[in-house]
Amino acid sequence: MPKILIVDDTAFMRLSIKTMLENNGFEIVGEADNGKTAIKKYLETQPDVVTMDITMPEMSGIEALSAIRQYDPKAKVVIVSAMGQEDLVKKAIISGAISFIVKPFKEEDIVKTIKQIAEM
Amino acid sequence: MSNQYSNEPMLEMYIFETSQLLEQLEQAIIASEKSSSYSQEAINEIFRFMHTIKGSSAMMLFNEISALAHAIEDLFYFLREQKPKTVDYEILSDLVLEGVDFIKVEIEKIKNGDEVNGEAALLIDKIKEFLSLLKTENACVAELKRPEPTKNQQYYIAVEKKSGQLSKSIYKATVFFKEGCEMENIRAYTIIHNLVEFTQELFYIPENISENDESIIWIRENGFQILFKTDKSYEEMHEFFMKTIFLKELILEQLENDDEFEKFRVPKKIIIENSEVKMPKVSAQLSKDNVVKETTTTSNQSMISVNVEKLDKLMDLVGEMVIAEAMVTQNPEIEHLELENFQKAARQLHKITGELQDMVMAIRMVPLSTTFLKMHRIMRDMCKKLGKEVQLEVIGEETEVDKNIIEHISDPLMHLIRNSIDHGIEENEERLEKGKEKAGTVTLEAKNAGSDVLVIIKDDGKGLNKEKILQKAKENGLLEKNENEMTDKEIYALILLPGFSTKESITEFSGRGVGMDVVAKNLAVVGGTVSVESIADRGTTITLKIPLTLAIIDGMNIKVGHSRYTIPIITIKESFRPKEGECFKDPDGNEMIMVRGNCYPILRLHEHYRVHTDIQRFEEGILIMVEQDEKALCLFADELLGQQQVVVKALPNYIKNTKKIRGVAGCTLLGDGSISLILDVGGFSNSYAM
Repeated sequence: MPKILIVDDTAFMRLSIKTMLENNGFEIVGEADNGKTAIKKYLETQPDVVTMDITMPEMSGIEALSAIRQYDPKAKVVIVSAMGQEDLVKKAIISGAISFIVKPFKEEDIVKTIKQIAEM
Repeated sequence: MSNQYSNEPMLEMYIFETSQLLEQLEQAIIASEKSSSYSQEAINEIFRFMHTIKGSSAMMLFNEISALAHAIEDLFYFLREQKPKTVDYEILSDLVLEGVDFIKVEIEKIKNGDEVNGEAALLIDKIKEFLSLLKTENACVAELKRPEPTKNQQYYIAVEKKSGQLSKSIYKATVFFKEGCEMENIRAYTIIHNLVEFTQELFYIPENISENDESIIWIRENGFQILFKTDKSYEEMHEFFMKTIFLKELILEQLENDDEFEKFRVPKKIIIENSEVKMPKVSAQLSKDNVVKETTTTSNQSMISVNVEKLDKLMDLVGEMVIAEAMVTQNPEIEHLELENFQKAARQLHKITGELQDMVMAIRMVPLSTTFLKMHRIMRDMCKKLGKEVQLEVIGEETEVDKNIIEHISDPLMHLIRNSIDHGIEENEERLEKGKEKAGTVTLEAKNAGSDVLVIIKDDGKGLNKEKILQKAKENGLLEKNENEMTDKEIYALILLPGFSTKESITEFSGRGVGMDVVAKNLAVVGGTVSVESIADRGTTITLKIPLTLAIIDGMNIKVGHSRYTIPIITIKESFRPKEGECFKDPDGNEMIMVRGNCYPILRLHEHYRVHTDIQRFEEGILIMVEQDEKALCLFADELLGQQQVVVKALPNYIKNTKKIRGVAGCTLLGDGSISLILDVGGFSNSYAM
């Protein structure tokens, strides 16, 4: 089972993504609610894919993304963004995010995306 | 909460989080309003809250809520970015609070399983209008687009690589993305970002994929077209494109020549851009900070939110354990045995269960601050509507009460605060005439008093009018006693009766006469009481007395014939065996006794409950003097059995629904397995006491 790390500052989103992914054959190995914890958890759990919320307090998703990519250039990070954040998403792509998904999303969208990325 | 949704953890989480956010939002707005300015911090906070609510509501398909949150988010985005100088903060606060109220109402509907059918369109329009007004008044330089577009990039030409030119293959790719994947322009950008490494002469349509809507629509209709040259084979390129996330369709053609490239190759407009591909400066900075090292943990206390149902179950279990403990240590089989070691172990067990009990109680205790905070909002709304100036002073909000109780206090408190402002505090002019300060003060205080918590609502308004109250009571036939014999306290207590109101006209907030008695009822549910004090022109003070713990009390077991009863220890003043002839009868035939100069009525429990007992004479039994709410009486029983910690269990419904039994607060199991009824001293006092 591919291992997933979920990063989002709201418990609701973390629970939503966790529920959707666990129902579809993924193993959630960790959760984080800010960028700093995300990096720590990445090192601890060595997941296959990371879902990363782009707007979080303390340390933003993009900074965490860059740090993770620095540590592991093969890290696969998928950005979770809201509508209207094109600029941030573009920055994320430049910083090494592999792709992104836009809220609100359906279960099948995120499942297919994570699956595809895990298999890359 | 409706049980229907207890299987839906996501919905519960949504309700919980959103409710919390709304509360924080309200506080932020009211605080900003008070200081007549919205700090950058507050604006950021409010923006983030609305952003989160927008996102989660959309995920749960609550689209009206999401749209409303979006409108407010846009408004605060503008405030954050443009920092306009001319803003009517009062209207802003009103608008946002209106939005908060809308969402609150919808959340209630969700909680109760009702249809979530509120329409936010009107409010959204108001908010958008306000935003346009802000924009015109503050003459924004450019139409603020979200997000800011990056430089217009017309063409992109890769840095020429050294390898031989002639072996390059030429391709044309057209990519269609899946419907609903959103931000197709950025997805297109991602492809280009990944292509540049191994391609030369890369062109694409549409060109401005960093712009917003237009390129997205073009891509949706015509697909994203890319022309490029590369060393890679067809299969390799096909594999590359097929990896695109949210790919719907790919058309990949290998071209004979690069004629199609001609239309892109216009010499004068060539811009050689390298910066797009470089890794951003962010990473360079971070390597300095070396974030990969262990970061210090946050200084917040670690908190965990627990489902109240679980806590209730825990309470029940602890209660059962206390009973079970009694059944072991007070088992009749070992009653007469001398078991030293056993007793030692029993004491240890008792100590531990006691600690466990205390801990569980403590967990359920919640400070009153959240409830008190809500009162600020009510204050504000009422003051605005009635045009009065009132300050709210809060003392002792850190005082804790059981979680159950908090829910029953909220509504009564709101009503009492409304009363104070509506009835109590006079209009500004009137106050000044009386020599008072223009702004009225309502003080909300909470403190511990023995095993109760006192919540006091005090205002410095005009006080209660005794004559009017007596008048109204007489009119409605509510007077039980002769008015001359009533103390002030008793007169004021009349307002707690149903149907009572001395207000001439009914306002939106009060005057319907259903308020105070509902307050008293709500309090009674949790075992609390209301008392009223007032001084004409100085103000009114209402005191709510609430017991700290409902479920486990220290009780004294007593015997009456074959029946067992338990009296809450805190109500017992003393117990004694009267001497022959000490008791007498008063003119009405009621039995009484004098103790240290005071007269107390006697209640024969065996008569009251019609239980047979051999002990009929006072000198053979025992008199227990009990007191509650300043009313005292003596209970006559056969003998005292001993003190015990007792778990109060409510009487079963089939009894409660059949007949209201006065004087019984509940029941419990004794150590020998028999049932004991817990006496409610207050229930006796009302009918018998002085």
